[in-house]
Amino acid sequence: MARKSKGPVTRIDALSYSLNIDAQDRTTLNALLDQLRDVLMNDSSSDIARRLFPAAYHQDEQHEQEYQRLMRDELLSSRLASLSLTSSILERETTTNNIVLTADELDALMRSINSLRLVLGTLLDVDEDEFEAHLVEDDPGYGQYQLYSYLGWLLDWIVTAQTEFN
Amino acid sequence: MRPTEVVDPGTDIAPDTDRPWIVLVWNDPINLMSYVTLVLQKLFGYSLEKATELMLDVHNKGRAVVSSGTREHTEFDVYRLHEHGLWATMQREDA
Repeated sequence: MARKSKGPVTRIDALSYSLNIDAQDRTTLNALLDQLRDVLMNDSSSDIARRLFPAAYHQDEQHEQEYQRLMRDELLSSRLASLSLTSSILERETTTNNIVLTADELDALMRSINSLRLVLGTLLDVDEDEFEAHLVEDDPGYGQYQLYSYLGWLLDWIVTAQTEFN
Repeated sequence: MRPTEVVDPGTDIAPDTDRPWIVLVWNDPINLMSYVTLVLQKLFGYSLEKATELMLDVHNKGRAVVSSGTREHTEFDVYRLHEHGLWATMQREDA
Protein backbone atom coordinates (compact mmCIF):
# COMPACT_ATOMS: atom_id res chain seq x y z
CA MET A 1 0.00 0.00 0.00
CA ALA A 2 1.64 3.20 -1.20
CA ARG A 3 1.72 6.28 0.99
CA LYS A 4 1.54 9.67 -0.60
CA SER A 5 3.25 12.76 0.76
CA LYS A 6 -0.07 14.56 0.49
CA GLY A 7 -2.82 13.30 2.73
CA PRO A 8 -5.40 10.85 1.35
CA VAL A 9 -8.24 12.73 3.06
CA THR A 10 -8.83 16.46 2.77
CA ARG A 11 -11.61 18.82 3.70
CA ILE A 12 -13.40 20.44 0.76
CA ASP A 13 -15.82 22.58 2.78
CA ALA A 14 -17.90 22.37 5.94
CA LEU A 15 -20.06 19.57 4.50
CA SER A 16 -17.76 17.51 2.32
CA TYR A 17 -14.40 15.79 2.20
CA SER A 18 -12.23 14.19 -0.45
CA LEU A 19 -10.86 10.64 -0.17
CA ASN A 20 -8.02 9.76 -2.50
CA ILE A 21 -6.63 6.23 -2.29
CA ASP A 22 -5.83 3.99 -5.22
CA ALA A 23 -7.98 1.12 -6.47
CA GLN A 24 -5.73 -1.59 -5.04
CA ASP A 25 -5.94 -0.10 -1.56
CA ARG A 26 -9.72 0.25 -1.83
CA THR A 27 -10.01 -3.40 -2.87
CA THR A 28 -7.81 -4.52 0.03
CA LEU A 29 -9.78 -2.44 2.51
CA ASN A 30 -13.05 -3.85 1.24
CA ALA A 31 -11.76 -7.41 1.64
CA LEU A 32 -10.76 -6.58 5.22
CA LEU A 33 -14.20 -5.10 5.87
CA ASP A 34 -15.77 -8.37 4.67
CA GLN A 35 -13.62 -10.28 7.15
CA LEU A 36 -14.56 -7.88 9.92
CA ARG A 37 -18.25 -8.33 9.06
CA ASP A 38 -17.78 -12.07 9.41
CA VAL A 39 -16.12 -11.65 12.81
CA LEU A 40 -18.92 -9.39 14.03
CA MET A 41 -21.60 -11.84 12.91
CA ASN A 42 -20.01 -15.08 14.10
CA ASP A 43 -17.56 -14.43 16.93
CA SER A 44 -18.89 -13.68 20.38
CA SER A 45 -16.25 -15.00 22.74
CA SER A 46 -12.71 -14.27 21.50
CA ASP A 47 -10.42 -11.46 22.61
CA ILE A 48 -11.41 -9.65 19.42
CA ALA A 49 -15.11 -9.88 20.25
CA ARG A 50 -14.43 -8.65 23.77
CA ARG A 51 -12.53 -5.68 22.33
CA LEU A 52 -15.31 -4.81 19.88
CA PHE A 53 -18.02 -5.31 22.52
CA PRO A 54 -16.36 -4.28 25.77
CA ALA A 55 -17.98 -4.51 29.18
CA ALA A 56 -19.78 -1.39 30.36
CA TYR A 57 -20.05 -2.41 34.03
CA HIS A 58 -16.71 -3.97 34.88
CA GLN A 59 -17.55 -4.02 38.60
CA ASP A 60 -21.15 -5.23 38.45
CA GLU A 61 -22.01 -8.50 36.74
CA GLN A 62 -25.78 -8.11 37.11
CA HIS A 63 -25.86 -4.67 35.52
CA GLU A 64 -23.42 -5.86 32.87
CA GLN A 65 -25.67 -8.73 31.80
CA GLU A 66 -28.63 -6.36 31.60
CA TYR A 67 -26.59 -3.85 29.58
CA GLN A 68 -25.38 -6.46 27.10
CA ARG A 69 -28.91 -7.85 26.71
CA LEU A 70 -30.22 -4.39 25.84
CA MET A 71 -27.31 -2.84 23.94
CA ARG A 72 -25.21 -5.53 22.25
CA ASP A 73 -27.53 -5.97 19.27
CA GLU A 74 -27.78 -2.22 18.87
CA LEU A 75 -23.99 -1.90 18.86
CA LEU A 76 -23.74 -4.76 16.36
CA SER A 77 -26.29 -3.08 14.07
CA SER A 78 -24.43 0.21 14.31
CA ARG A 79 -21.11 -1.42 13.41
CA LEU A 80 -22.62 -3.34 10.50
CA ALA A 81 -24.32 -0.21 9.15
CA SER A 82 -21.01 1.63 9.33
CA LEU A 83 -19.24 -1.21 7.48
CA SER A 84 -21.94 -1.33 4.82
CA LEU A 85 -21.72 2.40 4.16
CA THR A 86 -17.93 2.25 4.07
CA SER A 87 -17.98 -0.62 1.57
CA SER A 88 -20.34 1.30 -0.68
CA ILE A 89 -18.01 4.31 -0.54
CA LEU A 90 -14.96 2.24 -1.49
CA GLU A 91 -16.85 0.59 -4.37
CA ARG A 92 -17.83 3.87 -6.02
CA GLU A 93 -16.74 4.29 -9.62
CA THR A 94 -13.94 6.78 -10.04
CA THR A 95 -11.43 7.44 -12.78
CA THR A 96 -9.27 9.73 -10.67
CA ASN A 97 -9.20 7.76 -7.38
CA ASN A 98 -10.98 10.74 -5.88
CA ILE A 99 -14.22 10.15 -3.94
CA VAL A 100 -16.26 12.95 -2.41
CA LEU A 101 -17.69 12.13 1.03
CA THR A 102 -20.29 13.74 3.24
CA ALA A 103 -19.43 14.27 6.90
CA ASP A 104 -21.56 11.24 7.85
CA GLU A 105 -19.77 9.10 5.28
CA LEU A 106 -16.39 10.21 6.58
CA ASP A 107 -17.54 9.33 10.10
CA ALA A 108 -18.53 5.82 8.95
CA LEU A 109 -15.17 5.41 7.21
CA MET A 110 -13.36 6.59 10.34
CA ARG A 111 -15.18 4.17 12.63
CA SER A 112 -14.69 1.26 10.22
CA ILE A 113 -10.96 1.88 9.83
CA ASN A 114 -10.65 2.15 13.60
CA SER A 115 -12.53 -1.15 14.02
CA LEU A 116 -10.07 -2.81 11.63
CA ARG A 117 -7.18 -1.43 13.70
CA LEU A 118 -8.78 -2.74 16.89
CA VAL A 119 -9.07 -6.22 15.43
CA LEU A 120 -5.58 -6.31 13.94
CA GLY A 121 -4.02 -4.66 16.98
CA THR A 122 -5.68 -7.21 19.25
CA LEU A 123 -4.55 -10.10 17.03
CA LEU A 124 -0.98 -8.76 17.08
CA ASP A 125 -1.17 -7.94 20.79
CA VAL A 126 0.31 -4.58 19.87
CA ASP A 127 2.66 -2.93 22.32
CA GLU A 128 3.11 0.85 21.90
CA ASP A 129 6.79 0.71 22.84
CA GLU A 130 7.75 -2.26 20.67
CA PHE A 131 5.58 -1.59 17.62
CA GLU A 132 8.29 0.08 15.51
CA ALA A 133 10.66 -2.86 16.00
CA HIS A 134 8.30 -5.09 13.98
CA LEU A 135 8.40 -2.83 10.91
CA VAL A 136 11.45 -4.54 9.45
CA GLU A 137 11.21 -6.94 6.54
CA ASP A 138 12.70 -9.95 8.31
CA ASP A 139 10.17 -9.74 11.15
CA PRO A 140 7.72 -12.69 10.90
CA GLY A 141 4.76 -10.35 11.36
CA TYR A 142 6.06 -7.67 8.99
CA GLY A 143 3.09 -7.76 6.58
CA GLN A 144 0.51 -7.51 9.35
CA TYR A 145 2.40 -4.75 11.15
CA GLN A 146 2.75 -2.88 7.86
CA LEU A 147 -1.00 -3.16 7.34
CA TYR A 148 -1.62 -2.00 10.91
CA SER A 149 0.68 0.94 10.29
CA TYR A 150 -1.14 1.81 7.05
CA LEU A 151 -4.52 1.78 8.83
CA GLY A 152 -3.10 4.10 11.49
CA TRP A 153 -1.74 6.43 8.83
CA LEU A 154 -5.11 6.55 7.04
CA LEU A 155 -7.02 7.03 10.28
CA ASP A 156 -4.74 9.85 11.37
CA TRP A 157 -5.43 11.68 8.09
CA ILE A 158 -9.18 11.18 8.54
CA VAL A 159 -8.87 12.76 11.98
CA THR A 160 -6.67 15.58 10.70
CA ALA A 161 -9.16 16.44 7.93
CA GLN A 162 -11.82 16.98 10.58
CA THR A 163 -9.73 18.97 13.01
CA GLU A 164 -7.43 21.21 10.98
CA PHE A 165 -10.11 23.90 10.56
CA ASN A 166 -11.32 23.86 14.17
CA MET B 1 -63.42 5.95 45.79
CA ARG B 2 -62.27 3.11 48.00
CA PRO B 3 -58.58 2.68 48.50
CA THR B 4 -57.10 -0.32 46.75
CA GLU B 5 -54.25 -2.43 47.89
CA VAL B 6 -51.19 -2.04 45.72
CA VAL B 7 -48.83 -4.98 45.50
CA ASP B 8 -45.20 -3.97 45.35
CA PRO B 9 -43.78 -5.81 42.33
CA GLY B 10 -40.33 -5.77 43.90
CA THR B 11 -37.07 -5.61 42.04
CA ASP B 12 -33.77 -7.38 42.07
CA ILE B 13 -31.91 -4.18 41.38
CA ALA B 14 -31.23 -1.75 44.20
CA PRO B 15 -32.80 1.66 43.66
CA ASP B 16 -30.54 4.44 42.43
CA THR B 17 -29.21 6.74 45.11
CA ASP B 18 -28.17 10.36 44.72
CA ARG B 19 -24.62 9.36 43.88
CA PRO B 20 -24.00 10.05 40.20
CA TRP B 21 -22.50 7.59 37.79
CA ILE B 22 -19.24 8.32 36.03
CA VAL B 23 -17.88 7.20 32.67
CA LEU B 24 -14.25 6.15 32.50
CA VAL B 25 -12.15 5.81 29.37
CA TRP B 26 -9.23 3.43 29.82
CA ASN B 27 -5.86 3.46 28.12
CA ASP B 28 -5.22 0.94 25.40
CA PRO B 29 -2.24 0.55 23.08
CA ILE B 30 -4.29 0.62 19.87
CA ASN B 31 -6.42 3.76 19.68
CA LEU B 32 -4.56 6.77 18.29
CA MET B 33 -4.19 9.74 20.63
CA SER B 34 -5.49 12.06 17.90
CA TYR B 35 -8.51 9.80 17.40
CA VAL B 36 -9.36 9.68 21.11
CA THR B 37 -9.15 13.48 21.28
CA LEU B 38 -11.47 13.90 18.30
CA VAL B 39 -14.02 11.41 19.66
CA LEU B 40 -14.14 13.21 23.01
CA GLN B 41 -14.71 16.53 21.22
CA LYS B 42 -17.34 15.07 18.96
CA LEU B 43 -19.36 13.16 21.55
CA PHE B 44 -19.19 15.58 24.47
CA GLY B 45 -18.59 18.93 22.80
CA TYR B 46 -15.33 19.46 24.66
CA SER B 47 -12.87 22.09 23.47
CA LEU B 48 -9.64 20.85 21.90
CA GLU B 49 -7.80 21.82 25.11
CA LYS B 50 -10.20 19.91 27.39
CA ALA B 51 -10.32 16.85 25.12
CA THR B 52 -6.53 16.81 24.85
CA GLU B 53 -6.19 17.07 28.64
CA LEU B 54 -8.54 14.10 29.11
CA MET B 55 -6.78 12.09 26.40
CA LEU B 56 -3.42 12.70 28.08
CA ASP B 57 -4.89 11.60 31.43
CA VAL B 58 -6.01 8.39 29.72
CA HIS B 59 -2.58 7.91 28.18
CA ASN B 60 -0.45 8.85 31.18
CA LYS B 61 -2.62 7.83 34.16
CA GLY B 62 -4.37 4.87 32.58
CA ARG B 63 -7.87 6.30 32.69
CA ALA B 64 -9.94 9.47 32.84
CA VAL B 65 -13.46 10.41 33.84
CA VAL B 66 -15.05 11.83 30.70
CA SER B 67 -18.67 12.31 31.78
CA SER B 68 -21.05 11.86 34.70
CA GLY B 69 -24.75 11.91 35.44
CA THR B 70 -27.67 9.57 35.82
CA ARG B 71 -27.32 5.89 35.08
CA GLU B 72 -29.39 6.21 31.90
CA HIS B 73 -27.34 9.17 30.68
CA THR B 74 -23.99 7.55 31.34
CA GLU B 75 -25.09 4.25 29.78
CA PHE B 76 -25.78 6.18 26.59
CA ASP B 77 -22.37 7.83 26.79
CA VAL B 78 -20.67 4.43 27.23
CA TYR B 79 -22.59 3.07 24.26
CA ARG B 80 -21.47 5.95 22.04
CA LEU B 81 -17.85 5.52 23.16
CA HIS B 82 -18.06 1.79 22.38
CA GLU B 83 -19.50 2.67 18.97
CA HIS B 84 -16.28 4.56 18.35
CA GLY B 85 -14.07 1.76 19.65
CA LEU B 86 -12.95 3.37 22.89
CA TRP B 87 -12.60 1.18 25.97
CA ALA B 88 -15.16 2.78 28.31
CA THR B 89 -16.85 1.62 31.50
CA MET B 90 -19.20 3.17 34.06
CA GLN B 91 -19.53 2.99 37.81
CA ARG B 92 -20.78 4.89 40.84
CA GLU B 93 -18.73 8.01 41.46
CA ASP B 94 -17.04 6.77 44.61
CA ALA B 95 -17.02 3.07 43.76
